[in-house]
Amino acid sequence: MPINTPRKILLVDDNPLFLKLMEQAFKKYHFKCHIVSSAEEAISFLKTNSPPDIILSDYEMLEMNGIDFRKYLMNEPELKDIPFVFLTYLPDKDLMIKGLDLRAIDFLLKDTPVNVIVSKINNILFTIEKQRELSEIEIKKAAASLNFKSIPVETPHIKGFDIDFWHHAYKDIPGGDFIDFIRVNDRYSFIVLGDVMGKKWMAWFFTFGFLSYIRSALRFAAFDEEYSTATILKKVNNIICYDSVLKDILLSLSLILIDSDTNKITYSGAGDLPLLHYKARAHRIIQVASSGLLLGLFEQGNYTQQEISLKKGDRLFFFTDGMIDFVNETGKKSDYQNFADTLQSSLAIENTFTKMKKNLFSKSLNKQVDDQTIISIYKS
Amino acid sequence: MISIYKEDTDNLFAELSLKEANMANADLFKAELIVLFDKYHKNVILNIGKVEYIDSSFLGALVSALKYGISVKNDIILVSLQKDIADLFALIRLDKVFKIYGSFDDVPNH
Repeated sequence: MPINTPRKILLVDDNPLFLKLMEQAFKKYHFKCHIVSSAEEAISFLKTNSPPDIILSDYEMLEMNGIDFRKYLMNEPELKDIPFVFLTYLPDKDLMIKGLDLRAIDFLLKDTPVNVIVSKINNILFTIEKQRELSEIEIKKAAASLNFKSIPVETPHIKGFDIDFWHHAYKDIPGGDFIDFIRVNDRYSFIVLGDVMGKKWMAWFFTFGFLSYIRSALRFAAFDEEYSTATILKKVNNIICYDSVLKDILLSLSLILIDSDTNKITYSGAGDLPLLHYKARAHRIIQVASSGLLLGLFEQGNYTQQEISLKKGDRLFFFTDGMIDFVNETGKKSDYQNFADTLQSSLAIENTFTKMKKNLFSKSLNKQVDDQTIISIYKS
Repeated sequence: MISIYKEDTDNLFAELSLKEANMANADLFKAELIVLFDKYHKNVILNIGKVEYIDSSFLGALVSALKYGISVKNDIILVSLQKDIADLFALIRLDKVFKIYGSFDDVPNH
């Protein structure tokens, strides 16, 4: 869990005084609390908000009691795994067994000192996070043994251009963003930026399939001396649309072809965010939008291509949606224009990617909500 | 998370109750839409006006549900998108994929 992310707790109790007391205690320990006075209200909250890290619920409540509330959650696939702790005045063994049978993590007596309750909840969350980390380490080991890298280790050397990139996986777990640099010969090089829709491991596993198709399509294109990025995207899309495993998985892609002899850049996009072209002489940034739909969506994806001319000192940025998403005190947001403006302001001060990585991208990590990847092409 | 507001011969008018549409609720959302297509065999006109943030997992579920809807000769029509959400749809060309209107009343022939 990122350092600055407060733990979220849902407190459910029909005693307003007790709720207020608990809320104050948890807030003191930097929890983000949401309080509700009934199980029904809690259900309504859970259905319309992102899940809390833990639920602390009273047992004795009018209408739906704590056990029935827990039973309800157990039947909801998206809610049943939220850690659940009962609070009760009744040290009743039968009740405790009933609750623990419903996979409640613990029973806490309400006359327990409030700071002890907070400590216990902290310990429970710490144990869960540790367990999760261990599971992730195991998966990371398995993934490493496959020797599959969706993000290159080094940047390519392309005559006339400086290529650089920055990538940060959400919560340090490999996700659906991928980059590929394919040097065809001294003249042509492809740059690929893809984003499998979804997050973390589930998206990462599908990058295998997509990258294999894309690499094959680029290799075949090179053999056939077919240097049309739009045609390549059409072919990749056709293959994906026919693949029954990938049929419900969608992919955004930016495909760039650099011709080092003519200094031409050809671009085609599929459901990707518009690229940003920084024009050094004018000190301004402009959007470069494509027309193509997400790969795998329809057989007719309207893929076209365009040439982008970079003058000396210009930069072309292409990036995934994690770069424009962020969380602040009011919640999560997507703001493309804000990102473009921030980038332009930064470029007015320092036009080196190393400094941008350090002073701009790395500093946004405490607001990160998705994988973040950005590639820069600089005309040297 | 989807509640039906009313229906006519060809369409279900429904509302999504989420503020944050993300990975945690994407699968359930898609499952609910597929149930609606299978049960009613009608277009779903979905008010997503409460949604303030939508992540790529949820967009994937929405698009995947649309593909299912089209395969059973139905459609998903979206209404009342907040500005940030409408901007995002336009940026990644999903405004060319979904029919989008300001409100239920703006949907033609309904």
